[in-house]
Amino acid sequence: MRLVWKLLRRHISLPQLAGFFFANLLGMLIVMLSLQFYLDVKPVLSEEDGLIRPDFLILNKRISALNTIGLNSAGTFSERELEELRSQPFAKRVGTFTSSQYKVGCSFGLEGVAQIGTEMFFESVPDAFVDVDMQKWHFSPGDAFVPIILPRTYLAIYNFGFAQSQNLPKLSEGIVGMVDMTVSMRGNGMNEYMKARVVGFSSRLNTILVPEDFIRWSNARYAPDADTSPTRIILEVTNPADDDILSYLNAHGYEQEVDKLDAGRITFFLRITASIVMAVGLLISLLSFYILMLSIYLLVEKNSEKMRTLLLIGYSPARVALPYQLLTSGMNAAILLLATAALCVSRAFYMQKLLAVFPQMSGGSLLCALAVGCSLFAFVSIVNIIMIRHRINRIWQNKD
Amino acid sequence: MVTTDRRMNAITLDNILPLVFLKRTDIQSDIWRRQVTLERGNTYLVEAASGTGKSSLCSFIIGYRNDFDGTIRFDNRDSLELRPGEWTELRQRHISMLFQELRLFPELTAMENIEIKNTLTRFKEKKEIGQWFEALGIADKMQSPIRLMSFGQQQRVALIRALCQPFDFLLADEPISHLDDACSAQMAAIMQEEARRQGAAIVVTSIGKHLPLSYDNTFRL
Repeated sequence: MRLVWKLLRRHISLPQLAGFFFANLLGMLIVMLSLQFYLDVKPVLSEEDGLIRPDFLILNKRISALNTIGLNSAGTFSERELEELRSQPFAKRVGTFTSSQYKVGCSFGLEGVAQIGTEMFFESVPDAFVDVDMQKWHFSPGDAFVPIILPRTYLAIYNFGFAQSQNLPKLSEGIVGMVDMTVSMRGNGMNEYMKARVVGFSSRLNTILVPEDFIRWSNARYAPDADTSPTRIILEVTNPADDDILSYLNAHGYEQEVDKLDAGRITFFLRITASIVMAVGLLISLLSFYILMLSIYLLVEKNSEKMRTLLLIGYSPARVALPYQLLTSGMNAAILLLATAALCVSRAFYMQKLLAVFPQMSGGSLLCALAVGCSLFAFVSIVNIIMIRHRINRIWQNKD
Repeated sequence: MVTTDRRMNAITLDNILPLVFLKRTDIQSDIWRRQVTLERGNTYLVEAASGTGKSSLCSFIIGYRNDFDGTIRFDNRDSLELRPGEWTELRQRHISMLFQELRLFPELTAMENIEIKNTLTRFKEKKEIGQWFEALGIADKMQSPIRLMSFGQQQRVALIRALCQPFDFLLADEPISHLDDACSAQMAAIMQEEARRQGAAIVVTSIGKHLPLSYDNTFRL
């Protein structure tokens, strides 16, 4: 083998092989990196709301100037309107939002960090509409904690707006869940405090949600005389894409709260961009592969007489093909290893940047990109091996 | 050492003719368009004038070319039916060829040219190879690059390479074209000794100077 290699390595063009090596390395890295980036970023963008199912619609009445100056009803839903909605064929279940009728304040602080306090409010929907472990989503008078679901945007506002400017630490959803908040409730001549804990975040509900039992209990306790007619309702439908729903809502002047449709759109663009970049990477890989095949063909051509002699003195075509097959496979393996290493380095770099912005981000696994890299390696190597053997066979048959 | 379990006993040239001669009507030959059987253990001389197809005949037998009419059979196997694996086996164990154009590798030394064959067949000890270099008067050239050696010296290296394998037939295509009589005699002695040891046939082609062997049969091509 040593002597055969000594013979056949003649005419190997280092610049050509180096050209292939770096071009294919670049191609493979682009393919793997674009896929990995897509997989890492996609979960952040298309974060599904686990708390409120997609076939739930949240409705309110359109607010107009008449509401503001008090000439119209206060945008509340009457019992008759609810009944009518319940009787629609598309409606499966109807629930109402109940809001707190007393003053609510809230403060929380991390160790060593200044207390942050704010005025706020509570709302509730029937527990059946909230997809949280009922062990956590539960309140009865005398409990130490009130469970709360916050809008995800609140966390974003804190992380990107407030924490950034105040040099405060960014918080992930998990950490917020561990922070105890103190809630103050004032009304009916009382001023009481309770602990509260965030049990989840929702992208679809723009409100601070507490269990229905808590609202009922606290409204009775702090604002016994207030009117609790609902201003928003939650509606479970059989088919969210049903046209009848939209025409019914328009006819009655109801508005549907806008979902995070934007995320879907961004995910779509991300997918398109990643696909284009991946295609470019594949194209580079393909072209570099073409360079390699040309280079190997040229090499076989230049060494064909030596190979013919080797065959004539008893070497098998497989044995004559082996050095070039090992050379190309070895190079492809080195490319795969280097591309993987470069992928890990680049990923560490962008993940660091992304984590600063999306602390809750966990990132996808490397497996998929590695599988694609290995497939590319296997494909290129197998085609190399077959084509080199094919050339040697042609020498064997004296066709070249 | 590799021992061949199955030997090749005969090469039959059945009515063969190079395709380029197909239209010629004036062919007078003991081989073309004849039935000739070369048998293991015998020594044959193929005498030929230039251009009568001597090297073509060798190429047909070793499987380098197949532009001929008729049939070549190894024992009872048609040469055109052999698969690449069988040709490899045949070239490693049954037919050794000393090419007229030598087919040595100029980028290797004399010894490396031998080793490239002997590492494949693992047939000869280094000591025996050394003795051949000695006997043929090129012991001092063992480590010289082959391209720096004269054609006569290269012919001797090519012979040693041809002997580094088991064979039933040794085909030597004009082996002594550039050698003096003393050297030719030495070469003949080595070939005969090795062929006798292996019970093999020697087939020598020549356009003039004959390798001094006792031939069982002489063919005019």
